[in-house]
Amino acid sequence: MNYKTVVGIEIHLELKTNTKMFSGAPYTFKAEANTLVNEVDLGMPGTLPCVNHEAVRKAIQACLALNLNIDPLIRFDRKNYYYSDLPKGYQITQQFHPIGRDGYLDIEAEGEKKRIRIERIHMEEDTAKQFHLFDETLIDYNRAGVPLIEIVSKPDISSGLEASLYVEKLKQTLNYLDVSDTKMEEGSMRCDVNVSINEEGSDVFGTKVEIKNLNSIANIRHAIDYEVNRQKEALAKGEAIHQETRRFDEKSMTTVLMRKKEGNVDYKYFPEPNIFPIRIKASEIEDIKEHMPELPDAKMARYMRDFGLNEYDANQLIQNKDLSIYFDKLVKLVKNTRLAATMLISELSGLLAKRSEDITTTKVTAKNLATLIQMIDDKEISSKQGKEVLEAMMDGNDPKQIVKERGMKQVSDEGAILKIVEEVLEENPSSIADFKNGKDRALGYLVGQVMKKSKGQANPQLASKLVKEKLMAN
Amino acid sequence: MTIREMKKQDPKILLNDAYNKVVEYQKKLNASITIIEPEANASDGLLSNIPVAVKDNFSTEGIKTTAASNILDNYVPIFDATVVKKLKEAGTVIVSKASMDELAMGGSNLTANIGPCHNPYDLKRISGGSSGGSAVLVASGAVPLAIGSDTGDSVRKPAAFCGVVGVKPTYGRISRYGVIPYASSLDHVGYFTTNIEDAALALSVLAGRDDLDMTSSYAEVKNYHEDLNGDIKGKKILVFDNVVNAIEDQTIIAQFNQLVAGLAAKGALVKHVSFDNDLMRAIFGTYFIIANAEATANHSNLDGIRFGHRVDGNTMEEVMINTRTRGFSSFIKKRFVVGSYSLFEENQERLLRKAHKVRRLIVEAVMAELKDADALIAPASGIIAPKIASEEKIDELTDAYLIAENHMIIGNFGGLPSMTQPMGFKDGMPLGVNITCNPFREQTMFDIGLAIEDLTGLKGLVKEDF
Repeated sequence: MNYKTVVGIEIHLELKTNTKMFSGAPYTFKAEANTLVNEVDLGMPGTLPCVNHEAVRKAIQACLALNLNIDPLIRFDRKNYYYSDLPKGYQITQQFHPIGRDGYLDIEAEGEKKRIRIERIHMEEDTAKQFHLFDETLIDYNRAGVPLIEIVSKPDISSGLEASLYVEKLKQTLNYLDVSDTKMEEGSMRCDVNVSINEEGSDVFGTKVEIKNLNSIANIRHAIDYEVNRQKEALAKGEAIHQETRRFDEKSMTTVLMRKKEGNVDYKYFPEPNIFPIRIKASEIEDIKEHMPELPDAKMARYMRDFGLNEYDANQLIQNKDLSIYFDKLVKLVKNTRLAATMLISELSGLLAKRSEDITTTKVTAKNLATLIQMIDDKEISSKQGKEVLEAMMDGNDPKQIVKERGMKQVSDEGAILKIVEEVLEENPSSIADFKNGKDRALGYLVGQVMKKSKGQANPQLASKLVKEKLMAN
Repeated sequence: MTIREMKKQDPKILLNDAYNKVVEYQKKLNASITIIEPEANASDGLLSNIPVAVKDNFSTEGIKTTAASNILDNYVPIFDATVVKKLKEAGTVIVSKASMDELAMGGSNLTANIGPCHNPYDLKRISGGSSGGSAVLVASGAVPLAIGSDTGDSVRKPAAFCGVVGVKPTYGRISRYGVIPYASSLDHVGYFTTNIEDAALALSVLAGRDDLDMTSSYAEVKNYHEDLNGDIKGKKILVFDNVVNAIEDQTIIAQFNQLVAGLAAKGALVKHVSFDNDLMRAIFGTYFIIANAEATANHSNLDGIRFGHRVDGNTMEEVMINTRTRGFSSFIKKRFVVGSYSLFEENQERLLRKAHKVRRLIVEAVMAELKDADALIAPASGIIAPKIASEEKIDELTDAYLIAENHMIIGNFGGLPSMTQPMGFKDGMPLGVNITCNPFREQTMFDIGLAIEDLTGLKGLVKEDF
């Protein structure tokens, strides 16, 4: 029997704000436990919530980027349940009136464009973090009250690959917006997926299985692929699929049962009485719209259109937001934009990786790199020399200074190069013979010798041309 | 004596006198949960070195705050409620954390974990509640000002039973930050004084926007005490006939009618209004559902994990269950059951949402009349304070209970400013009259209150021999 895979994804995203969703306590990820806490976060008696305006603005940005309709009347509700990581005994969330509804995100799966609809985005607060030891539980309340948005997709995703592409695109988009750090490994982006399979051609949905807390995009794909197969095999054996919550086990690359779902939990939602509905002015939403950062799709199109980059290079740049920000700065200072892209993607990125640095901390300023690119473009130095200079620039040195100190310059004087070519040919009669016997490799060797003899200063194209001419004439 | 007059006294003597009374009266009145030795307050505010009592559900930094519940009997807050902060800034000195019904969920003060609070006019009688301790400390002359909270009529009813002024201003007029809640949409900070001038002065100090309470109002705070004006000529006063008709005690009716006649004689335009009696009978049921639904969520934080009286267990879940089982009285647990029940998904439409609708209908009906008038007036209660060990229980299905004893909840439903003050006596026990005004018209409320005080002559009433 043929089955269709149906996947819906819920993403919890920590918003990047200075303070918490409903309290003035500061928040950063790596702080000592229980140091970023006040009486509100601990749910002490008599404390009241105060809505973080910045968090609302970030949520609106997310809604705009993902094409959701925004409800300008912000309302919150209480979700009631007892758990030791939930200080108030209820979570303030938006059950009845989410800030955004009915959006979408387009992905490209195996060359085809696909639209994944987004059902809703709502704001809420995070819970505390628990560490269960052998016979005790430690609680870190730093995370309690951190602003979250939950992004709920429609069940429009039909494979593990699509799911991973959707999450990757979402992550990239939200990261560009600076709405969130989107670090799955640090928990600032958390992903739960609902997987079911149903018979091809049937309208009846299969039983939904939830896989919780997937911590990487690769694991999302692995988990779904595994789960789909597990369900298919179970059905083939005549077994029923149970409504349950599973987790992905990285070691065995399988999904493992966490708990069975017995009926729906009644969270006794009701409107939060301590927060009156807040009306967001149309002018504020307009203001947010106007100040939206450029999103990756638009940026990529612009790179290809305005700077003549090919799709591969443009894509390489937008994959890393910080790299694209650097490129935006660099491109204003150079004439040869394609060379700038190549220098950034192939050369600088490689050197940074080797030194375990990244583009945000590099000492190579856009201005210095632009100077270097200009020197290469003007053929003042060869591209090979350029690489050497860049390496020397990694500690913050000025490229002009390096070129001067090392006596580098590119020799494009034909006469001078020709003299070296003649010397090299004289010294390598066997290579000439090889060339005549059809061994093309010999040409490269001879050009290399010319470059070496010129201490890298010879214009390589010119050297190659002259060697070839000499060999042919011989 | 008014606060203005007290301020002329030596603050040391004033504070010691108040402290000594609080200590001395404790055996007879049982009005305090924690008594605090006074230290002079250096800040030179409107209430400089005035001794005050604060209901024990107001957070006081470094001072035990129990809300009269075993579950919080060791809880010492790390912060001051905004009201407490304002009191300190104004110069007051807190000498008592006053008794109350457990978690403010009651109207008798009989459910306090330290036992009942006694009425200074008759020690065998209740103070009323839930702010009973605060009412009694003012009524007995121990302090001139005591803070309470009012969710149904928890300031205004005990004020009536104890013969003092009890004020509940507009919702949002005074910050609720740091007040251990009962039901957030109905909770108000209120207070007790012995006279209208002090009542107006206290609001000048306590009112104002607080960024820690999003429901607090930006409306301008006036100098209510300076603008006080007892001339009520032309003021439109509505007599709440449903309440008058529901009261069986003719002595109370007679005194009330006499007071209304006095107001008319002072030039007030008196008009009788009557609302749909079925709507009035629904007040209590509507209140009970909303208040308990909010309360059960509000008190979910009392789990023994982070503060309060923890009862151990083998798992976190067990700790929470054991703590809550031992920590709350059965009376509170019953209310949580009611609240939870009306929150269940299958019951919400039928109970909570319906209660919200009825709440709106009641407020709309009252506002339709009140918007063209200045105040709605009624006896605060149809009875004098009941005996602590009361044989005769009031029938809770009669209008005498449903309407006469619950009408002041309208002020909580609509967030309307509402005040009770002494009207007279019956059998040596005080009677109260209640006026309710339009939102943020506290000045009008105090002005009419001043005229009433003039008519009754009951200004600065205290009962010191008990």
